[in-house]
Amino acid sequence: MEFRGLFGGGLKMMRTIEILLVIIIITAAFIISSFFAVLPIPRRVSPLNLRRIALTTLQMLDVDHDLSETVFKPEDDPAWGELQIALSASLPPNIVYNLTVYEVQSGSSAQLYRFIKSISNAESLGIGSDAGSYLVASSNVTFNVIPEKIGESGVGGTLYILNCSDARGWWITGYTAQSLAQDLYNLLSPYFKTTIMVNNTDQFARILRGEALSNETVQNAVIINTFGEAVPIPSEYCKSPYWDNNYARYCHFLGNMTRLYNWTWASIVGYPFYYVSNTVSLKDDQNGWGIWGMNQTAQRGMYAFLQGLTNRDYTTPDTSDIYKDVGVVTLSSQVLESCNYYGIYPSPYQTSTRAIQKSKLNTYTNLTVGLLIFNEKSECYPGALYNHRNGTKIEGSLLALGLTRTPDVRLTAIGLLSYYKPRLYRSEYTASNATRLVVLQLGQVGGV
Amino acid sequence: MAGSTIDHLVSVTVFLGAMLLFISLFNQTLQTAILYQRHRYLATKCSDILDNMLLNPGIPEDWGKSNCTPYGFGLQDPEFTQYRLSPFSLMRLMSVAGEPVYYSKTGQYYSNVTVGFGNFLLVPFTEAINYSLATRLLGINGTYGFRLTVTPIVTVSISKLQSNPLTLSVNVKGAGFPLSNAIVSYCFINVEPTGGEKNYPAFTTNYGNATTNAEGSVILSFPDVDETKESYVLIAYAHHSGLIGTGYYEHILNKENYVVPFISNFGNESGEVLLAHSWDVHGGDNPAEITYNATFVLLTEDFTLREMPLGAGKVGSLNYGQDPQHAYEKITIPTYNPGILVVTYRKSANPQDSGVVLMPWGLSSMAFPIVFGDDPSGKEWVATDIRQVIVNNVAYQAILALWSLEGYSVVG
Repeated sequence: MEFRGLFGGGLKMMRTIEILLVIIIITAAFIISSFFAVLPIPRRVSPLNLRRIALTTLQMLDVDHDLSETVFKPEDDPAWGELQIALSASLPPNIVYNLTVYEVQSGSSAQLYRFIKSISNAESLGIGSDAGSYLVASSNVTFNVIPEKIGESGVGGTLYILNCSDARGWWITGYTAQSLAQDLYNLLSPYFKTTIMVNNTDQFARILRGEALSNETVQNAVIINTFGEAVPIPSEYCKSPYWDNNYARYCHFLGNMTRLYNWTWASIVGYPFYYVSNTVSLKDDQNGWGIWGMNQTAQRGMYAFLQGLTNRDYTTPDTSDIYKDVGVVTLSSQVLESCNYYGIYPSPYQTSTRAIQKSKLNTYTNLTVGLLIFNEKSECYPGALYNHRNGTKIEGSLLALGLTRTPDVRLTAIGLLSYYKPRLYRSEYTASNATRLVVLQLGQVGGV
Repeated sequence: MAGSTIDHLVSVTVFLGAMLLFISLFNQTLQTAILYQRHRYLATKCSDILDNMLLNPGIPEDWGKSNCTPYGFGLQDPEFTQYRLSPFSLMRLMSVAGEPVYYSKTGQYYSNVTVGFGNFLLVPFTEAINYSLATRLLGINGTYGFRLTVTPIVTVSISKLQSNPLTLSVNVKGAGFPLSNAIVSYCFINVEPTGGEKNYPAFTTNYGNATTNAEGSVILSFPDVDETKESYVLIAYAHHSGLIGTGYYEHILNKENYVVPFISNFGNESGEVLLAHSWDVHGGDNPAEITYNATFVLLTEDFTLREMPLGAGKVGSLNYGQDPQHAYEKITIPTYNPGILVVTYRKSANPQDSGVVLMPWGLSSMAFPIVFGDDPSGKEWVATDIRQVIVNNVAYQAILALWSLEGYSVVG
């Protein structure tokens, strides 16, 4: 009767039955979903970054290359025990570890990593662990760097270093032009196709005539004047009209040649072209400070050079000061980056007493700054490489470092490298079995 | 008809009741999952912010070596990569571990990282980077709170075993584990109360090396030292498989009147330190004039100390209760190489009443810890992360505690 009352007697309680069925279904759904929706244990909710801890621990243990030395020692060496003590001491007490060292094999071996040794302070690292790895090289490995040669893929690639024995330098106090030339040769010759020491003013004259000294390319060359504020003058130019305005005309001629051959002329310190020097032809001249074999062109030299560089006819140059004393200056970010790349580290702070005023360059509208070696200061360029542009084409450049004496030739070198950007191809001499991989796997114990 | 109506009423009531129950149950499951996600996100954020602090030097990158206010926060040593921190950037953080010190003669409060008597590091609030600025620079102002703790991994504790002959025990341990076979390089500084020029105090140094035993300790003996007449300091550097730690022990005869060094300025090339009379800072009994001699020593790679000459103010006298113009002396530390300022002093009227105080120049020179940021206690959910870092070759552990300030309940 009850059954009929429920299902047969007009199905009076059918909706209630249906609801009960729905409740059963939803309950089942909830139970099933709860069964699958297993939330992680609290440690996984807010985990320590074990991978980072492992990496930083390995880096810390290798701060004085102790780790690098230990992993290459024999397996029974006491250093392994000390490494284990250091590991235990440096990690928090609730962290267990397993440090495994593999040898990285090279050549045709099918197995890339060969197990060497493992040290651990626990049988198991628990349910969750993470690892950091660190590659160390043996001290037997030597690395080789092959620089790209400037001019390798085009014209140019010649470096001339003025090393004239018949000229004198100024503001290179403490050095001789010859010692600076040798330092520059050591620094820069790997980066150029050909490096030539210009040993006297006669050789310099040949270059000015466009003649090669030993089959090198004169066009697009770099010329470094190691004589500081003085510039060597060949005897054949110690005459009219080059001696106009205390040889300012000669400086104009140098600017002209720089443009004509698309040279980069580098002045390492102080006022460029402030004096001209030839110990034979100018033996009866002195520079005003008692140095014989030298003539003071003064400020006119730089103006005249810029006239020549920017393809202007020679006019009697200005005698006003193109430079300013701006005090302490800093290397530009581009050059700082190059310091790291090329591994040349002059002090990033230098004193500039001969910074070129920007306002004085306004008249040379086709002269642009190709590279800031030092950051601008007080509307001046303490050190920069200037390009003369003919449309989009560069025709001649001047690198001028308006620093106080004594010169640091590394600044000239890093300035040129920052501008030409030769690449470095690094390669490792693969002394066999010289690299080992250290894997530190960490796990947490205690708690949940 | 009535049966059908009852059926409707019962079914609807049961249905609604059941739905409310299930919505509540599902909601609880979802809420737990959402909380899980938020906690997980907080942990990830903690790791990111810690790396952000430790892997960039800030802007400008040498802000630790000047008095400028940075506009980018970072603690990495700009001369290195990876997890190497600048000892000077750390020194400019406003410590929350010690009570700030007020010095009435300058009218300033100083962040206090002092570790025991005689080992001072007091940085003026005006030069220190406070928590509020750091959160703004990190872009988490109002969204997250944090506390950064940078502590040395290797603890070098020194205790006295006996006075005659003077015997000291040096104990070296890591995070709960003794460092056996560690090399201990030590420098024993003995104060000579009138040993300097014009009877100013001076000191002599005695260097040595020793190795710890299986318990991580080593006994050092100094038989020539008479504790009743001499003040001294032992600075010990322990190194073991790349881990380096520092400890110090002082014996001071005159603790009533001493020199308190305050950092007053971080210049571009040098730092300036004020030397004040302790009575003007902490008060006390029996105040008296003191005579001092300040020396700056650099730690070399072989763990010996190399003296670096100081300029004006390196010797002088300090009297208590003076007007501000005459209350303290200024000295300039002419370098940003980490080292220790050693100030020997004596009572002017009684030369035997001597002492010595130390101040690290660069946090790591004396392995000082730093605690920076807000207090995490009472916060609902705090995520932490750890990195092992190097501060001028000394091994430290950086721990960041991070919590959310966004207001939602983070405990399920």
